[in-house]
Amino acid sequence: MRLRVIRPVVRAEESGSHAAIPLQPRRLSLLGSENVRQGLLDCTELWIGMHMTGRTEESPGSPSLQQLAIRAQRFTPRVSLALPDGLLLEVKGSLHLFNGATGLMGALAEEYTEVARTSSCALAPTPLAALLAARWGKPLVITDKAQLIGQLTHLPLTLMRWPVEVLERLARMGVRTVGQALRLPRAGFAQRFGPGVLADLDRLTGRKADLPRLFRPRERFRRRCELTYELESTERIVAALTPLLAALGNFLRARQCGILKLECLLQHRHAPPSSCVLRLANPLTDVARLTELLGERLNALELPEPVRSCELRSGALVPHAPASHSLWQPGEQGGEGETQSHELVERLQARLGTAAVYGLQVLAGHRPENAWGLREPTAQYTDTGIGPPPWAAFRRPLWLLSSPLLLQEKAGLPQRRGALRLSSEAERIESGWWDGSDIERDYYIACDIHGVELWVYRECLPPHRWFLHGVFG
Amino acid sequence: MRDSCGPPPAPERRDGSYAELHCLSNFSFLRGASHPQELVERAIELGYVALAITDECSVAGVVRAHVAARGRPLKLLIGAEFRLECGLKLVVLAIDRQGYGRLCRLITRGRRAAVKGDYLLRREDVETSGLQQCFVLWTACLSRAKDSPPRLEESRWREEARWLRQHFGVRARIAVELFREGTDRQQLLILQSIGRELDVPLVASGDIHMHVRERRKLQDALTAVRLNLPIAQAGWHLYPNGERHLREYERLARLYPPELLAESVAIAQACHFCLDELHYEYPHELVPEGETPSSHLHKLVEAGARRRWPEGVPQKVRKTLQSELALIAELHYEPYFLTVQDIVAYARANKILCQGRGSAANSLVCYCLEVSAVGPERGAALLFERFISRERNEPPDIDIDFEHDRREEVIQYIYRKYGRERAAIAATVIMYRPRSALRDMAKVFGLDPDSSGRLSRVMQWWDGNETLPERVHEAGFDVHDPVLGRIVSLARQLVAFPGFPRHLSQHVGGFVICEGLLEELVPIENAAMPERTVVQWDKDDLNDLGLLKVDVLGLGMLSALRRAFALVNGFRGTRHTLGRLPDDAAVYEMISRADTVGVFQIESRAQMSMLPRLKPRCYYDLVIEVAIVRPGPIQGDMVHPYLQRRAKNEPVEYPSDAVADVLQRTLGVPIFQEQVMQLAIAAAGFSPGEADSLRRAMGAWKRSGGIEHFRDRLIGGMLARGYQEEFAERLYRQMLGFGEYGFPESHAASFALLVYDSAWLKLHEPAAFACALLNSQPMGFYGPAQLVRDARAHGVEVRAVDVQESDHECKLEPQEDGEPALRLGMRMVKSLSEAGAARIEKARAAAPFTSVQDLAQRAELDRGDLEALAAAGALARLSGNRHLAYWEVAAAERPLPLQTQASCGDLSKRPGNLEEGRPLLEAPTEGQCIVADYASVGLTLGRHPLALLRERLSHDRILRMDELDRIAHGRTVRTAGIVLMRQRPQSANGVTFLTLEDESGQVNVIVWESVGREQRRAMLESRLLEVRGELQYQEGVRHLIARRLVDRSALLGQLLTCSRDFH
Repeated sequence: MRLRVIRPVVRAEESGSHAAIPLQPRRLSLLGSENVRQGLLDCTELWIGMHMTGRTEESPGSPSLQQLAIRAQRFTPRVSLALPDGLLLEVKGSLHLFNGATGLMGALAEEYTEVARTSSCALAPTPLAALLAARWGKPLVITDKAQLIGQLTHLPLTLMRWPVEVLERLARMGVRTVGQALRLPRAGFAQRFGPGVLADLDRLTGRKADLPRLFRPRERFRRRCELTYELESTERIVAALTPLLAALGNFLRARQCGILKLECLLQHRHAPPSSCVLRLANPLTDVARLTELLGERLNALELPEPVRSCELRSGALVPHAPASHSLWQPGEQGGEGETQSHELVERLQARLGTAAVYGLQVLAGHRPENAWGLREPTAQYTDTGIGPPPWAAFRRPLWLLSSPLLLQEKAGLPQRRGALRLSSEAERIESGWWDGSDIERDYYIACDIHGVELWVYRECLPPHRWFLHGVFG
Repeated sequence: MRDSCGPPPAPERRDGSYAELHCLSNFSFLRGASHPQELVERAIELGYVALAITDECSVAGVVRAHVAARGRPLKLLIGAEFRLECGLKLVVLAIDRQGYGRLCRLITRGRRAAVKGDYLLRREDVETSGLQQCFVLWTACLSRAKDSPPRLEESRWREEARWLRQHFGVRARIAVELFREGTDRQQLLILQSIGRELDVPLVASGDIHMHVRERRKLQDALTAVRLNLPIAQAGWHLYPNGERHLREYERLARLYPPELLAESVAIAQACHFCLDELHYEYPHELVPEGETPSSHLHKLVEAGARRRWPEGVPQKVRKTLQSELALIAELHYEPYFLTVQDIVAYARANKILCQGRGSAANSLVCYCLEVSAVGPERGAALLFERFISRERNEPPDIDIDFEHDRREEVIQYIYRKYGRERAAIAATVIMYRPRSALRDMAKVFGLDPDSSGRLSRVMQWWDGNETLPERVHEAGFDVHDPVLGRIVSLARQLVAFPGFPRHLSQHVGGFVICEGLLEELVPIENAAMPERTVVQWDKDDLNDLGLLKVDVLGLGMLSALRRAFALVNGFRGTRHTLGRLPDDAAVYEMISRADTVGVFQIESRAQMSMLPRLKPRCYYDLVIEVAIVRPGPIQGDMVHPYLQRRAKNEPVEYPSDAVADVLQRTLGVPIFQEQVMQLAIAAAGFSPGEADSLRRAMGAWKRSGGIEHFRDRLIGGMLARGYQEEFAERLYRQMLGFGEYGFPESHAASFALLVYDSAWLKLHEPAAFACALLNSQPMGFYGPAQLVRDARAHGVEVRAVDVQESDHECKLEPQEDGEPALRLGMRMVKSLSEAGAARIEKARAAAPFTSVQDLAQRAELDRGDLEALAAAGALARLSGNRHLAYWEVAAAERPLPLQTQASCGDLSKRPGNLEEGRPLLEAPTEGQCIVADYASVGLTLGRHPLALLRERLSHDRILRMDELDRIAHGRTVRTAGIVLMRQRPQSANGVTFLTLEDESGQVNVIVWESVGREQRRAMLESRLLEVRGELQYQEGVRHLIARRLVDRSALLGQLLTCSRDFH
């Protein structure tokens, strides 16, 4: 068995700082021509910039930038994120593998078909230039450093994404394109807009080296063990999982992290794998607890066939500062009630399923139907500032009918297995017009002939029918 | 308890009647859901003996209730509800005048201790307020604690009741308020036991929030607005049911023991305070020791008369003065005139231009007191006699206009002189408007801010209430969506006549000043502005109670005139002043040509189209001109007959001498508001008192519902006096028109003076006039761009803002021929600080600037100011075009304080100074310059933007405005221009007027309602608008009747022009 952590396949070698490359006049290189290869040889780096239009930090429904970056690592180990909507790939070294720039661009297009319509690519000798050209949206391919500035001249400065204030000030001077900015005296430019802005221009033209931070994917725990013989009993499966869990514990401790989700996959000979997912109320690192909970879950699982192999997969890691252990163990005097209730809830959920356990919450509202709701069982009870409940709210039956039951009426009194006797004064509730289910009712507590206390109401409006709405315990 | 409901109660039987002692109106903002008037009406319907209006720490709604209950079978009690800081809730009811005074003081105390709209009172405050002449009702309410069922509340209640008993003794009552919430019996038992134990009587009351149960929804919605929560989240803050309305006696009798109901009536009978008891005493300090108000006023008038007529007061004037003074003495109005005189004297001493207007202002007394400049040669006394009469008990009315930018000095003087205990500003009740109502209701239903904003934007400011669903539909909402339906229906209730009050704000300048403590007359509260206090009543309330106020108003034109006189007198050494300019026929000629951009009152397009028809020839024509272009005369159909008679196309006839007396000066057509009253007396036999209520119905028609109910009296009275039915009907129609809006002659007379003076200046001193108007912006009908364009059209040389020449204000510079040129000031430059401009002036006085660096250093300008100057093109002489100016400015930032000494002390050592030489910057194009001019200065001295687009426009066969001159009446044309103004006067039946401008002139466009409805977006949103339509000429006025409107704003690119939208 071996612990495998997903990491980038190849580590980026630390590239040393690049000396500024003297600008020499070169021929414009066209894609795929002989000159390309010539040009390619002259550049130390070549970058592909990818720009996803209209993307924000979290664009729903489309793959995340990280996911795209992971796939980009197919093409080169040197992948960088340009948040929130760009990727950078240093491809000089990979070009020969893909039959030159054309091939590489084609392969990229193939890889990213699902985002093809909302993205654009460009190739340039500096990362910033590649990114800028990609943002511009035209398939610019600049392989010759000498041609770089000429090609960038017409690009609008807004692509630089400088602070709006800088862009506005430049625009007021009539400076709106890269070319116009590059014509300004350097010292004066730096004095007016700060060395950072000038440095951006220098990185754009390659006058200053640019080293985008390399992308590294997020870590998760995933480990599998093949069983030497098929297992059926839960105890044995748990026993087989123990080394995996121990490894998970080490993994978590080393990173000072906990998990909120753990999935256990059990492979069978024929049937599709069984999965059992453990969701946790608090970030957990404690292996013993995990083992216990997983055992509970597995107990509840019906296996179609014996198990041949098992695998553990963690959810995202959550930073977790381990609490210092309390003096008393739970259940003993001094144990914290909250921890205990968490454990109870987790155990109940493990046995009955997550969806079968929930908490109850009083909601502020006069309509009885709307005066309570479900909540996460482990959620803290929060004071929602709902204001003081009216007195009458203390006289509510615990058992409320899901929909009121029409009662017969005789001599002005409701009937249910005989005449009911009204034992309270009327409580009038008129509320709820805003969502279309306005009620106008007079509620009474009534006793039936067996002495059971019922909660009944009479409509304020004709036909003034009687309904049963709840039963007091 | 059900059997306690007996047969229908007879009014005289004590046990069959009830008085509601705890009732909130909608002046408990966002709590009460009914108007005071509605509550009064409903209480009368239900046969209540009395009704107390007890708004929360306020009496703002009581006058409306008082007026509604006047002469009706319902006793109105005045009181207020308070929730003290500790949670204890009280209702205080005034027994008599003293009790009322103390109640007002308590309210003032609470309100002044908190921010605007809130109040703060502790038990000590109530204990020490001397409420001996008040009933104090304590209401048992739930604490704010989370879980306190009745039995837990009991001990707190006992403690509160004991406090009540201890401090208010026999006037303490326990108010029992039962709302069928399921615990009525329990609550009643507890309170009865507390009452027995402490010997405090119990009384029934209803914590009324609405007059009928149907207002429950509105009440819930208002609660949600108050809590700033969507209604679905308001939960227990809402009331569980709608029982807090005025309930029928039978229902109450089922809930309450009879003695509790009887006690309410007993309390009501013990209270005998009525608002009519309030009267007003003028401040005493206006009269020096040893003088009476009368003798002092005589002295002042005498001194004034000698100033006005240095060669001796004419006999006729003296006689008139004497009769005026006699009238004033008889009505005891001396202190009022002295108050006004004192304020005006202060303004004059401080060289603040001011002028009085209103009925009493046009008297010779006021002329002598220099309150008004309308002298006898302009018919002052003539007017006065008509306006104040001894029969009509009508309070004198003087509004004083001050320069708008110096009015604050006058206000502070009044506060200084009388103190905050004795002077305060009247309130203005801010009502829900369609827009605010929709916005608040949308929020109640949790609409996201975007759609809520969209919904409230749907309502352009001129939309009437009736068009709501239609507008909502236009904005892309589904009218049939139930939520939207609820929003719209609630919003409708909020804006329905007379409109729900939202909060109190301050009146523009109505001061209440009194001799005693003002806070014993009416509560005072904090206004939003620091150091401002307002009383809780608005001007209509004060009027209804006969309390007097002095209106201290701001008028932009007075500021402009003072500046213009100063400029002219400074430039030419003359001594012109307000009201003393020579009569000049050329001025009237100019006015008759409608060449009146910038002239007071008659510069609007409605006025401009009237001028060539009316052709004013003398001062009184101007008075008529000011008054005739108003919704009242227009809707009363008086304009056309008057013009016809003036042009002698129609004979001037009077049905009787009495009518002739009233209407002679306006050729038999009633034009002024006063004439309507005089007609009612002369022709319909109204008593002066009735005529006065007619006047108030016209003036305050909003509140009393128009003058329709005078119809029978008017027409019947005229028929009885032998007038033809047709005449009677016509007169009544004309009066109805005034009901909408009529203008009083007394105000028009003062305004006409300003019209003449401003027109005189425009004609003879156009540069100074334009300069003064620019320095007084914002004011008037036209923005700087139009004012400057008009001045240039009249031959004034206008010079650009220049940091080497301009002051902060615009100013006059001598031209070679000795005539003045207008130099634009740095005040025109957007986002340039005033302090910065002042430093520039100061530094330049030492030596002219040599460079932008020099400017930045010596005037200590920060980058904001420098960029503002660059944007305005004001650096052109130092650095060249705007691009270069920006480049230099970017480097010439004033060093930060820390850097000054060490690193940047010597600017030449900064890196930026080593390089330089001109950077390679492209010069801005003409179009860019014009855009930049508009963006920064608001106008351009270069070509009109449309000149740049002309080629393109001509290609589309769009005509220039001057080309329209060659086109005949009735032809269809196509033209385009920048939209200068949009107007939709209420009197115009949905017609919208647009003014378009291009490089050659302006054209007035009329958009009929149907066209406007179909092409609403283009009409409302275009900045550059193309209009196709029919050209029409009417009495020398050109109009374009629009058929098709096309938004061409895209052509303007980023050209920034803003139209000014008016009602």
